[in-house]
Amino acid sequence: MAIKHQVIIVGGGPAGLNAAKYAANAGADVGLVDSGTRLGGQYWRHTGKENFDQSMHYNFDQGSLLIDAVLANPRITIYTNTSIWSASIVDDSVVLRTKDQEFITQRLIIATGAYDRSLPFPGWDIPGVMTTGAAQSLLKGSGVVAGKKIVVAGTGPFLLPVASGISSHGGNIVGVIEASTRNVWLKKLLILLQNPSKIIEGAHYLRALHQRKVPMRFKQAVVAAQAGSDGLLESVTIANIDKDFHIISSYQLSCDVAAIGWGFTPDTSLAGSLGLDLKVATDGSVVVSVDENQRTLYTHESVEIFAAGESTGIGGSGLSLLEGAIAGLSAAHSSRDLKELKSMRKKAARFSLALTEVYHVPKGWNSWLTPETLICRCEEVDYQTFCHARDELGANDARSAKLFTRCGMGMCQGRICAQNISDLLASNDADRIKSVYRPIISPITLGELAQEGLL
Amino acid sequence: MITFTFNGTELQGEQGQSVAAALLANQMRTTRYTRVESKPRGLFCGIGICFDCLLIINDQSNQKSCVVEIKEGMSVVTQHGN
Repeated sequence: MAIKHQVIIVGGGPAGLNAAKYAANAGADVGLVDSGTRLGGQYWRHTGKENFDQSMHYNFDQGSLLIDAVLANPRITIYTNTSIWSASIVDDSVVLRTKDQEFITQRLIIATGAYDRSLPFPGWDIPGVMTTGAAQSLLKGSGVVAGKKIVVAGTGPFLLPVASGISSHGGNIVGVIEASTRNVWLKKLLILLQNPSKIIEGAHYLRALHQRKVPMRFKQAVVAAQAGSDGLLESVTIANIDKDFHIISSYQLSCDVAAIGWGFTPDTSLAGSLGLDLKVATDGSVVVSVDENQRTLYTHESVEIFAAGESTGIGGSGLSLLEGAIAGLSAAHSSRDLKELKSMRKKAARFSLALTEVYHVPKGWNSWLTPETLICRCEEVDYQTFCHARDELGANDARSAKLFTRCGMGMCQGRICAQNISDLLASNDADRIKSVYRPIISPITLGELAQEGLL
Repeated sequence: MITFTFNGTELQGEQGQSVAAALLANQMRTTRYTRVESKPRGLFCGIGICFDCLLIINDQSNQKSCVVEIKEGMSVVTQHGN
């Protein structure tokens, strides 16, 4: 069965929700598709209205208002629990395929968001090591504190709400381990001060952590993890690191969960599968290229494709909302408020860029790897196998490395390892972009593929 | 409260929780053993990206426990290999 809408938006987080609202208010008939059970995306992930604990969110009011507005808008049709498997442009339309449906539109807005960036280290495959986003989604989505003794580590402003949220809900945070320096944000003080609400939000988390006497460490990183006899996480090695992430000295810390995040990776799977132009952002991640109207560079006489939010570059919820609004208006062919929104976006983008530069991840993390450290978790490819392919067999791009070792070839299709492999290969931009094109958006079984006629 | 089984043992979870969250709340951290080295794995990305928390739900393998919601009477089983 084919479902048609004037505008179809994929992703129900801040960017997608605002795109839906603005496009519908400008008169368009909108379909909003999301793979999750509830709208809100990762940022406004929640357990459902009935038993919803508002204290888990710093500013859920904004999200709640937006979700309610979208749900109540008669011009917006919502499709939750709907994963797009494949996408293509057929004749004069975009066709999005799910397990049992087809969505057809001439105006698509991609708002697929981002996920945590992970760096490999010895023991990162032990149960108990997870991303900061995983610990956060357990708390916000399921009301579960991830463990009994939790280390929150990595870099960036996201560590604070994760640690503060867990701590406020009775979780025992044994350390917040930030790789950058304590006053790193002073480097960009003038730009960051232009967004006082974010400074106030950061101060709110810091105060909560301080009140609960949660230890905070700077210029340190989790560089190894150890399992007990039960195979589960028992401790981590925390190192003092220099500005290139090389280890100076280290100590052990006992814990059953290590929630680690190194910023975010934009989810460009849908954009890539449509063959849209991608580019490499300043942080080394691959993002969707868009113009000032959030329009992708795809040109076709009847098909228009836009992208908004984290898939066009990591910028946080504030920037995502603005990009969503602009994409929504552009897709609805309206220019109302566009000028003002663009000027707000410019300011928000400057703030986001400053944060990205402040919480830079240098490539010295490769010094943490041992020969046995997994590079690709799915296919269990270790560092020595990878190095053999790179140094002895001459695999100097992601495709050759994949052919020789299977790294990046597993179920996640390189979503976790592609950026790290590009770093280890010292790939140029063209190779970085090639490494994230995936034919299948949401992995499915061979049987299902055959059934769909995709094989 | 929702009652489900994990490898045949009855456990309890709460409405709206993911399978992975309900297991973690019951101190169960390993969802699968890997294909090549039979190493234990558990929840990693938590949002359906990484495919590490796969397990068998109601006889269907390769289910992402971080995104599937726990339901009354669900049979959840550790996955070995594929």
